[in-house]
Amino acid sequence: MRKGLAKIRKGYLLVFLVPSLTIIVIFFLVPVVLTFLIGLTNMDYSFKWNWIGLANYLYILKDRWAAKILGNTLFYVFTTLICFNVGMALFISIATTHINEKIGSAFRTIWLLPRITPSTVYALLWLWACRREGYSLFNWILSAFGFPPIDWKLSNPWLIVILVNGFIGTSFGMIIFTAALKSIPEDYIKAAKVDGASTLQIIRHIELPLIKWPIMFVTAYQTLSLLTSYEYILLVTDGGPGLYTTEVWALYSYHLAFAQYGGIVKFGYGAALATILVIIGLIMSVLYWKMFKFRELMLEPKIEV
Amino acid sequence: MRKRRGQAKIMYIAILIVGIIIGGVIGYVLAPAKTPEEVQDIMSENEELKSKITQLLEKLGKKEITITIWTIGPDPPSEYRYKNFEIAANMLNSWLEKMGSNVTIKVTGEFFVRPVEWGEYKNKFYLAFKAGEAPDIYLTGHEDIGFLAANDYIIPLDNYVKEYWDVIYYDVIPTLWDAVKYKGKIWGVPQDTEARPLYFRKDILRKLGWSEQEINELPKKIERGEFTLQDLLGVAKEAVDKGLVERGILHRVKEGYDYFQFYLAYGGKLWNPETGKMVFSKEAWKKTLKWFYDAVWVYKVISPNQFSGDWDKDFHGPFTSGEALFLSGGTWHKGEWIQKGLLTEESFKENIGYALHPAGEPGMSPVTLSHPLVYTITKQAEERGVADICFILITLVTDPHINSYHSVQSAHLAILYSQISDSRYTQDWFLKDVAYMLKYTTFIPNHPKWGDYSRIVFNVLRAVESGELTPDEAYNVLLSEIQNTLGDDVEIVS
Repeated sequence: MRKGLAKIRKGYLLVFLVPSLTIIVIFFLVPVVLTFLIGLTNMDYSFKWNWIGLANYLYILKDRWAAKILGNTLFYVFTTLICFNVGMALFISIATTHINEKIGSAFRTIWLLPRITPSTVYALLWLWACRREGYSLFNWILSAFGFPPIDWKLSNPWLIVILVNGFIGTSFGMIIFTAALKSIPEDYIKAAKVDGASTLQIIRHIELPLIKWPIMFVTAYQTLSLLTSYEYILLVTDGGPGLYTTEVWALYSYHLAFAQYGGIVKFGYGAALATILVIIGLIMSVLYWKMFKFRELMLEPKIEV
Repeated sequence: MRKRRGQAKIMYIAILIVGIIIGGVIGYVLAPAKTPEEVQDIMSENEELKSKITQLLEKLGKKEITITIWTIGPDPPSEYRYKNFEIAANMLNSWLEKMGSNVTIKVTGEFFVRPVEWGEYKNKFYLAFKAGEAPDIYLTGHEDIGFLAANDYIIPLDNYVKEYWDVIYYDVIPTLWDAVKYKGKIWGVPQDTEARPLYFRKDILRKLGWSEQEINELPKKIERGEFTLQDLLGVAKEAVDKGLVERGILHRVKEGYDYFQFYLAYGGKLWNPETGKMVFSKEAWKKTLKWFYDAVWVYKVISPNQFSGDWDKDFHGPFTSGEALFLSGGTWHKGEWIQKGLLTEESFKENIGYALHPAGEPGMSPVTLSHPLVYTITKQAEERGVADICFILITLVTDPHINSYHSVQSAHLAILYSQISDSRYTQDWFLKDVAYMLKYTTFIPNHPKWGDYSRIVFNVLRAVESGELTPDEAYNVLLSEIQNTLGDDVEIVS
């Protein structure tokens, strides 16, 4: 009888899981497998499956530009992560929860704008703001301080790329941190105030420790998200100026597979590069899982409700 | 409260209607111009062609035949690459009507223009082909023929060309046939060709103290090999040092084939017609890379960011407004500058000179590069049974007068001998003036892997100009990348 019930239960579980499993298999698993397989060929627009084994992966080791691009990618991911996706998000969510609720939420809504603006429109706005002419937004600000106009994209490409991506990334962390901050029971804050704690002390000793899990979650999630993002870099600097100045791994793969001037594309090599990215992503996920002890997160709620 | 809501609704609907009306008016005003009605019925005397066509159409038995054609500029003045087909179709339909046939030919398709670039256009074609929606006629650069032919995207045209040889094809300038051959067969019909001159500003040279005679002698000195690439750097440096111009020399801002001219000017070769392999001349590349490095970092006449620039702000704009002295460009740029309103015919004649690209060293010869575009017929056109009609249409547009619509407006060069003396073509003094450059021209190879060679060179040149690699480092990188990527497809010579 118990065994029968257990089987029925498993059956129900399966039925409920099947829809999302199907989506995951079709849209995540199958493409990864396909990409891996294409990475074992040197396919181009002839669309022929010319199997060459691990030659693409060996070539990545010999690729003259791979090291530089890898360095670029790591620099880009961790700088944007620390400065904006986690850093700025934390700052904004803490700041806006400590002031008047209406103003705070209005401010957070404005910070959502970059993320909901269509990517090309957003990139265009940034390109206009960075134009080399004196009337562009940034040069206008510079001139208010008495400096001559500069070509922002040429002289500070990384600054612009990190700002562009950071402004978008901030909103994700901001929403999660705000929700977490708001779910901290009032009692803790009131008790601290009664004990004479200043706002800064409350933030440091009560709020931050209590939103430890959301912070770690956002860090892990955004790292992986930034690792594979290239859309805005493509739109703003296209990996330039110069040779691969702001090129990241995902963009390199895109360029080789889809953006060749002569139409001679390298699907095989691009797929191999993408597979490496998947592997790096998997490794980082496991690392984060172990480092941040996410297993504990899943077990029992850490905040008493 | 209800009244307010009702009023708001009426206001929104009113705004919507006004918006739609405004949009309609804007759309009408901006509608593209229609094709010229002026149809030069040059080929109507050709009875043999007409009877061939009638027989063919009757064989097909259809009432209306639609042919899809894809063409690209990307420069806007080259719109006749597509419009000529509309002219041809109108002509064909008017004959058919006169002959009492009830078949009509309809032409559809597109002329792609900037910001669409070559890479995207070719991508689009390959993907459309895989989806079964390829056009019937596909205009592309001749260098693509190797890849397209090897992978069954297009059909060979030898039989057609032989059949219609006496109609017009005997007249095609013979070197152009070399550009459309791959493994001994003809795969496309030349659409146009161009030369790539070195433009210079006469007004800046005058300010440098050159006399009018010296200025007019410059193209001839370059042709004789007396003015070399080193001299070019010297003159550009003088102009920059004296503050007459901001930049000495401009070149294209994106990947392309123009900068190969400097390699050719140093005696480099790109391919070996006997073996069909691409060629890498070591000494020539060493000198070319050094020239680019010196131009940017020693003489300081090319901007280190020239390859990341913007077409209007770093190429057309500075040269046409007098802020640069030399420009390595193409004959079609004259058409582009005039159409964009940057120059008039008079100001061009007055202030712009043009010459071949100078030789690398004394004793070598000057160069220019031609990149003929070709019309190809896709495999899918053959499968649809319209390949014959496609070839007829192509034959009709390969006509000295109709092709001249394109040549004159976009400043490309003639493909037919008779075109050189065509009434419309000869009206253009510029095309006549640059015709001598075709004697020194070369083509890029028709090799399927040419794209790799081009990409590697572009990357290395970018690195040299931006200062990331010294000339020696760049040469080693170039050589190793070429060997690793192309292997046996390229011959390394000294």
